Amino acid sequence: MDAVTYPDTKVINFINQHMIPLQVQYDTRPMAENFNIKWTPTIVMLDINGKEHYRTVGFLSPEELIPSLFLGISKSYFDTDKFDNALVYLDNLLTEYPKSDFAPEAIYLQGVCRYKNTHDPKPLKEAYEQLKAKHPSNEWTKRAYPYRLI
Amino acid sequence: MENKIKWETTMDTAVALARSEKKFILLDFFNPD
Repeated sequence: MDAVTYPDTKVINFINQHMIPLQVQYDTRPMAENFNIKWTPTIVMLDINGKEHYRTVGFLSPEELIPSLFLGISKSYFDTDKFDNALVYLDNLLTEYPKSDFAPEAIYLQGVCRYKNTHDPKPLKEAYEQLKAKHPSNEWTKRAYPYRLI
Repeated sequence: MENKIKWETTMDTAVALARSEKKFILLDFFNPD
């Protein structure tokens, strides 16, 4: 990550604009134990209280790190019922990185956020149909499979 | 724009900045070897 992804200009700009970046060695105590770190790189997204909402393990290219951070921010808002905020970042992910490996999960979460906002189940079915059309073999399409019946 | 990421090195500082700037924290555990 330090050799390829973090020196990337888009990554630098995104992180400096949207995040507070904190980097520690994998065996730093007590943090490594507190976050149960077993492999590197591990990236954890925390809220203003230091509570974890999302993590990735393994190398991510610049083209995948930014959408993963969009998704992490969305999940952080989702966890605190701020669905409108989550939808903003999901829309950003799907507009700017539609071919990202994180796009299918974003489509799924978008459907869930819209349902949570309105209590109308139609967005869940729309999410499944979008997933089926764009990512037919993806695990998130399979997870959305029951929504075809809505 | 900055030409590198401005990493914090302690949780206390990161949390204080996150609260003041209303941002999430990206915590990266790395292996220097």
